[in-house]
Amino acid sequence: MIIGTQVSINALLAFGVTFVIITGGIDLSLGSMVAVTGVVAATFAHPDTYPLAVPLLAGLGAGLLFGAFNGFVVTKSKVPPFIVTLGTMTIGRGLALILSKGRPVSNLSDPFNFIGGGNVFGIPFPIIILIIAFLVCSVILNKTILGRYMYAVGGNEPAARASGIGVNRVKMWVYTICGILSALGGILLTSRITTGQPNAGAGFELDAIAAAIIGGTSTSGGTGTMTGTLIGALLIGVISNSLDLLNVTSYYQQVVMGVIIIGAVVLDSAGKKERG
Amino acid sequence: MGMKFNAVYAVFIAGVILLGCNQSGGSESGGENAGKKLVIGATMLSMQNEFIVNVSDEMESRAKALDVELITVDAERSALKQVEQVESFIAQGVDAIIMNPCEVEASSPAVKLAMNAKIPIINVNSETSAKPTAFVGSDDTESARIAMKYIAEKLGGKGNVLIMHGFMGQAAQLKRDAGAKEVLKANPGLKLLAEQSGEWDRAKAMSLTENWIQSYGNQINAIFAHNDEMGMGAVKALEAAGLKNKVIVISVDAIPDALQAVKKGTLDATIYQNAAQQGGTAIETAIKAAKKEAFKKEVLIPFQLVTKENVGEFLKQ
Repeated sequence: MIIGTQVSINALLAFGVTFVIITGGIDLSLGSMVAVTGVVAATFAHPDTYPLAVPLLAGLGAGLLFGAFNGFVVTKSKVPPFIVTLGTMTIGRGLALILSKGRPVSNLSDPFNFIGGGNVFGIPFPIIILIIAFLVCSVILNKTILGRYMYAVGGNEPAARASGIGVNRVKMWVYTICGILSALGGILLTSRITTGQPNAGAGFELDAIAAAIIGGTSTSGGTGTMTGTLIGALLIGVISNSLDLLNVTSYYQQVVMGVIIIGAVVLDSAGKKERG
Repeated sequence: MGMKFNAVYAVFIAGVILLGCNQSGGSESGGENAGKKLVIGATMLSMQNEFIVNVSDEMESRAKALDVELITVDAERSALKQVEQVESFIAQGVDAIIMNPCEVEASSPAVKLAMNAKIPIINVNSETSAKPTAFVGSDDTESARIAMKYIAEKLGGKGNVLIMHGFMGQAAQLKRDAGAKEVLKANPGLKLLAEQSGEWDRAKAMSLTENWIQSYGNQINAIFAHNDEMGMGAVKALEAAGLKNKVIVISVDAIPDALQAVKKGTLDATIYQNAAQQGGTAIETAIKAAKKEAFKKEVLIPFQLVTKENVGEFLKQ
């Protein structure tokens, strides 16, 4: 249960970035989006001010806008997504600091804090969010035309374009979805630590990308599944949790994590050669 | 089916690595047979910070001396990670928890979780807004008061001062700021030229000081940095600009590097915060709380001003 709660934020971000990576893009602004959306949500979540829906919609709305902005710049300019989102990563961090005036936004209402800290029928609420998000993302990827187009765009963009797929529209969608999922992660984080922290989420993008890659998403686009990403996120969670419990020094933990990421990709490409 | 193929292998790697780690920790797990050895879980702000590592090292050796098992984890400055680590400690059923909080508010849920689980939690070095079982540390306001008074004295109550903050919003930053501002208010001759966060980091502090030198140059008379890492960064930048002998730099913590610098005369003074005493007392308090013996709810370890004159005593420690 604890591991489920602990991986929930990373898994949400990883789902988002899986969409992006499948289309052959990348999103480095995840961690900053977590901070911005968390601060925005926290600003509206003080007790006895607004009903719970307001901070939630404000946070998700901020994520949607941020993601759409990423998508807009990526599709309208010829700048690679790596650079675009590297830029928006810094912009986002700055925005979070501006919006919060550099101070953590605390004193949040009980209903808001329930999202990250409460239980429903004995199941931690973050796990419920995780399961719902997983199901929705899987359906989008496997059962919708949009999902099929994502694979097509990532697999061979010129071919996708030639066969009449609105490549730019698909890309707008994936970055926007990624923004919304990051906002969900941001709200969850803010609620769990009962504070909207402008410094929160630094480095989250790397964990999320690692989860997607360990789960078999290829950075060259065209392949990847939500189940794989979920397994990747769980694996990272289980490993860091076990290493903590085994009292392995944090210095070694980072080495182990790096070895696993590289190992997963090496094995993946080795597997491809065998089959090819 | 690239994913399945890959995932199976990934699980395999993880298994191998975990096994490997388990074996290396084998000698420790043998101790479980001994029966009722107390287990204390400790989560530290950052194991890349020399002062925190000093606190942690002393905790380690004191735990060994008192024959308790200490599990130390690194929160890597993330309050979320810290809360999760405390959750794991609770699930693991440790006898006491020592937390070196990342943040006043955001680490508070961890305190509440431990209190609800009826596991004593001791905050070391830094505070949270939620009240823990006990607090072991130093009153950070005092350290800043000592530092600013030193500056006021050295400048004869008149001059331009720069303040370099720690991570905004952390207890240590807020308190050191409060202490410094108190002394500034009492000395109207001291003018605050600028204040910025160097995020406890030497490299950040260095570039911040470089920027300050560009904008203020010869106007700068003194810099107060909230910790030694930043103080050392400021010294480096001032030295490079050839301004060090004109500017007084004082910072807090008395890490070995800073003591050496005080001895050499590059850093004017540092404030000694007793890392070892904090770590040792935290372990002792945790053990007492776990055994339900009497303990002090708040242990404040005093600060000391370290200058060239008395640096010798501290270098020995």
